Amino acid sequence: MFYRIPKFNYYRASTLNEALDLVSSLNDFKVLAGGTDLVIDLKVRRYTVKNVVDISRIKELDYIADDGDRVRIGALTKLQSIADSPIIREKAPVLADAVREMASWQIRNVATIGGNLCNASPAADTAPPLYVLNATLRLVSKEGEREVPITEFFLGPRKTALRSRELLKEIVIPHEPDCGASFLKLGRRNSFTLSVVAVATLVKVDKNKFADVRIALNSVAPTPVRARKAEECLKGKEISLNNITEAAKLVLHDISPISDVRASAEYRKDMSVVLTRDSLIKSLERVGIKV
Amino acid sequence: MIRFIFGRRNYYPSSGEIMASIEDPYVLIDKWLRAKEFIVVGKGVARTDAFEKALGKAKYVEDYFQSGILFIKQVLSTEPHARIKGINVEEALRKPKVVRVITASDIPGENQVGYALPDQPLLAEGKVRFHGEVVALVVAEDIDAALEASESVRINYEPLPHILDPLEALQRKDVLVHEEVGSNIAFRTRIRKGNVEEGFSKADVIVENEYRTHHQDHLYLEPEGALAIPGLDGRLTVITAAQYPHLAQSIIARVLGVPASDIKVIVPYMGGGFGGKDDEGPLTAAKAALTAYLTGRPSFILYTREESMRTHPKREATIIKYKSGAARDGKLTAIDVTIIHDTGAYANRGPFILWRATVHASGPYHVPHAKVDGYCVYTNKVYQGSFRGFGNPSVQFAAEAQMDELARKLGMDPVEFRLRNMLRPGLTTITNQLLDHSVGIADAVEQLAKVSGWYSKRREYGVSTGRFRRGIGIGVAWHGISTSRGVPDWSNAYIKIDKDGSVTAFTGIVEMGQGSPTSSHRQIVAEVLGAPIEKIKVTFGTSDAPDGGATHASRGTSIGAIGVLVAAAKIRERLNKLASELLNCSPDEVVIREGKVYVRGDVERSITWEELIKHAYSRGVDLSATGYFFLPKGKFDDTVGQGQAYPAFSYVAMIAEVEVDTETGKVRVLKVWPALAAGRIINPQQVEGQIEGAAVQGMGYVLMEQLVFDDKGRLLNPDLTDYVVPTALDVPEIAKPVYVEDLFKYGPFGAKGVGEMALIPAPAAIANAVSHALGVRITKLPITPEAVYFEVKKHGLIK
Ligand SMILES: Cc1cc2nc3c(=O)[nH]c(=O)nc-3n(C[C@H](O)[C@H](O)[C@H](O)COP(=O)(O)OP(=O)(O)OC[C@H]3O[C@@H](n4cnc5c(N)ncnc54)[C@H](O)[C@@H]3O)c2cc1C
Repeated sequence: MFYRIPKFNYYRASTLNEALDLVSSLNDFKVLAGGTDLVIDLKVRRYTVKNVVDISRIKELDYIADDGDRVRIGALTKLQSIADSPIIREKAPVLADAVREMASWQIRNVATIGGNLCNASPAADTAPPLYVLNATLRLVSKEGEREVPITEFFLGPRKTALRSRELLKEIVIPHEPDCGASFLKLGRRNSFTLSVVAVATLVKVDKNKFADVRIALNSVAPTPVRARKAEECLKGKEISLNNITEAAKLVLHDISPISDVRASAEYRKDMSVVLTRDSLIKSLERVGIKV
Repeated sequence: MIRFIFGRRNYYPSSGEIMASIEDPYVLIDKWLRAKEFIVVGKGVARTDAFEKALGKAKYVEDYFQSGILFIKQVLSTEPHARIKGINVEEALRKPKVVRVITASDIPGENQVGYALPDQPLLAEGKVRFHGEVVALVVAEDIDAALEASESVRINYEPLPHILDPLEALQRKDVLVHEEVGSNIAFRTRIRKGNVEEGFSKADVIVENEYRTHHQDHLYLEPEGALAIPGLDGRLTVITAAQYPHLAQSIIARVLGVPASDIKVIVPYMGGGFGGKDDEGPLTAAKAALTAYLTGRPSFILYTREESMRTHPKREATIIKYKSGAARDGKLTAIDVTIIHDTGAYANRGPFILWRATVHASGPYHVPHAKVDGYCVYTNKVYQGSFRGFGNPSVQFAAEAQMDELARKLGMDPVEFRLRNMLRPGLTTITNQLLDHSVGIADAVEQLAKVSGWYSKRREYGVSTGRFRRGIGIGVAWHGISTSRGVPDWSNAYIKIDKDGSVTAFTGIVEMGQGSPTSSHRQIVAEVLGAPIEKIKVTFGTSDAPDGGATHASRGTSIGAIGVLVAAAKIRERLNKLASELLNCSPDEVVIREGKVYVRGDVERSITWEELIKHAYSRGVDLSATGYFFLPKGKFDDTVGQGQAYPAFSYVAMIAEVEVDTETGKVRVLKVWPALAAGRIINPQQVEGQIEGAAVQGMGYVLMEQLVFDDKGRLLNPDLTDYVVPTALDVPEIAKPVYVEDLFKYGPFGAKGVGEMALIPAPAAIANAVSHALGVRITKLPITPEAVYFEVKKHGLIK
């Protein structure tokens, strides 16, 4: 409990190539982006490492690019830049909604989206919106680049599909014009709070039916999860409050919450259902449907 | 400029004539109480520290730290209850830059710092009684070295069975937190007024409930810290964050075994206290002083947030069993209350806290028959202590829930029911104290009900069966001024006027955000002397000022400022006398206002403030004075809890409007309306700040704050990630307060006390509003979304 940051060697990369050189030559290291997770974790000794590679000054990984049919976000883009970005607000507003509710203005100006994902906390708030947006992550190492769908990226608390000498380079979000999406977070106060449960949903509508439904939650399983059962149940179904309410109950099949100082498992379960229903209703509102 | 006429009197009057001025504090307090017009009192005068603080230039303890000063790190117990078989410091001492490791055996004086009972060591001795108790101090050349070495102090524990539940602790004799006591009961209180059996036999309705309230951490922005410098100013000088410099001084002297006169304590600006630094401040100071004394070098201690939360005393957790009865005419007939305070490992100020809870158990109502029993119970948890409200918010929460339930059973409106029973001049309290003056609560509640739209909202809300349900609730409370029963209380300060007419007041009252020394004290001095307010400086938080008591119990601007008023008033009498000689009028005709000294009704016959002061220096008028005042106290019989409990009471009420989301359990406080009957409002701007801060702190306590302990009594959330307090976005709208200025005869200009007030009825008001919204009685705090949700589910309020 005495928070003394243990000694380590500090390396700073100013280009992606330099960073890749460093991580391929060093052993026993951690990558430092905004440091809002890592520095605390080093202090409480969640990790003890010999080397820290600071990638926060790599300008080439700080961007939001609009390619028309997709949006690309550099891993080192600050959360506040995402919240403020007209591109994100237009093409992936649900991500902006989630980011605006994260942490505080001060933290959002240091914390990066890449750090939020690579930290792989079950409570990561950028995960549910990126899940429902079908985002993919572009990972890079000396060996080359590969793409991983975000749903395959998280393996467990603090565990990801990143290989040991690999970095997250960017997040790719396909642009889907005719959909409604929303994000709801239940915390222990109105702002600056970690989620007890958070839900993102995305709907596409055809006539009066659900053409596509995506539901993702955090803080209710070892990783953020998609609620496939509930999604399947709604696809092709008529849009009605009853159908939504019934389907929302099915999220319980895909979650396995625990009890901790923030909430009990039972409360998290019940709230997952409530928030899923509310979020679906809100997503429908965004495509002009009131239920 | 010199216009005065020297007529009948000698130009040099004998000093005897001038010294014949009034010096009796009773006369002076009364004289200023009767003032009808004010120059600065009652106005929103800006505090002197506003700019410094807004610009980040104000200095706090930590800002006096420089490199080269020794750093102290505490080693905390990892056991809830264990014998200390040995402490091995060898490995720690071998670490680089380590200077010393200090344990109980190094203490040259007494290792005994219990405030109410002699049960508490500064550093654990023989045994540890809670997870987090301080066992040793590691001293090193810098912070990193101290932190590193603190991990190498090896303590050999022999674990003992521990006890966390106060009800279990009450029963058991085999596990004792303090063997020498013979039970786990640290202290008992009792009240016996009238005959409760008779009272209940006259009742038409009876309500009986058990209430539970929880711990609260102060979470001041600035954690505890102290810097001790040997030899500075000829003494061991300690700069520290403590609410009572003279108490810190005496605790340090006791621990070191030296006279108090060898110790000087300075309290600079403080980043919040709320009572926590009343208890922990002197102990923090003693640790730094002990280190400086043993090493001969300046030594500095600063708690981390985790350390602060693990070690410093908390708001008491309580179990309150409450039975009350009322007759059909809406009059209370009797109460029977049992109060159990979980005091944790040490009594600390627990007995005083329990007395306050006991004496206030009825709420501000007249009850003919009362029986109250209080138990302060030891457990192996971090101990309880002073926190804004001091035992009162929990018991008012219980009392006010009872009032609502009685009103419901009687079919009466809750405000109407309260007004029928409210204390008024001429009535007695449950300690049989006759209230003779300064009881403005009924008026305040009537006004509050009007401005909040109570009667219509109370009818309208609470009937919805939809998802979002509104409710409105009231909490009314009282809070005795000064120390309870016969415990001595006094005020003092020292004032001097320099040759240039500038004025300095020296007080031990501290500035911890509330602003007493930087606003109301200056106003009082300026008002009484008539000097321009810019010329008045208040030097606060120093043990070199006369001991005028602590900055706690809402006394900074009330009892704490009597000394300032009396000292200024003595000098004013002398100045009036002098001016009357100079202006050739009677002393009563002298007006001193904003730097001008003139004859009432003849502004032309005048001199300036500076001229007056020059004359005083050249004619032998003493321009320095102390303002000692010993508060008169009545008799109190502890065995039956009958007698004068407090010289007077402050009163407060709060109405809260809430909206409950029945599907998530989330409670939104939409608006609160506060009302205060706390005597004279010396500075409305400061009082509003205190009310708003207290209302939000109270709301946080009720809705979100909670300490979570594991089965070893270890605190699981000693940090800002998981100990959740309100943010700006959680703050409800707070209405302009209703003030009833029910003057208190010994208060400066009639002021009672404000600091704690608005927190006290907040739990009651919010819980009553939630109960109204749901139609379900809330008996347990905190009312987190989760708690509300399961309450809703249990009662089948939603499908
Ligand atoms: C006060 C406070 C409030 C917070 N509130 C929230 C909140 O509301 N919601 C929420 O989800 N989080 C919250 N967080 C957590 C944190 O701020 C976020 O997770 C943040 O996005 C982490 O980003 P970072 O740049 O600071 O990551 P860092 O701490 O620098 O890194 C985090 C982890 O990711 C790894 N990493 C970082 N970048 C890369 C990369 N490009 N490739 C490979 N690995 C990488 C690091 O090695 C490390 O293991 C909060 C934190 C604090 C301190």
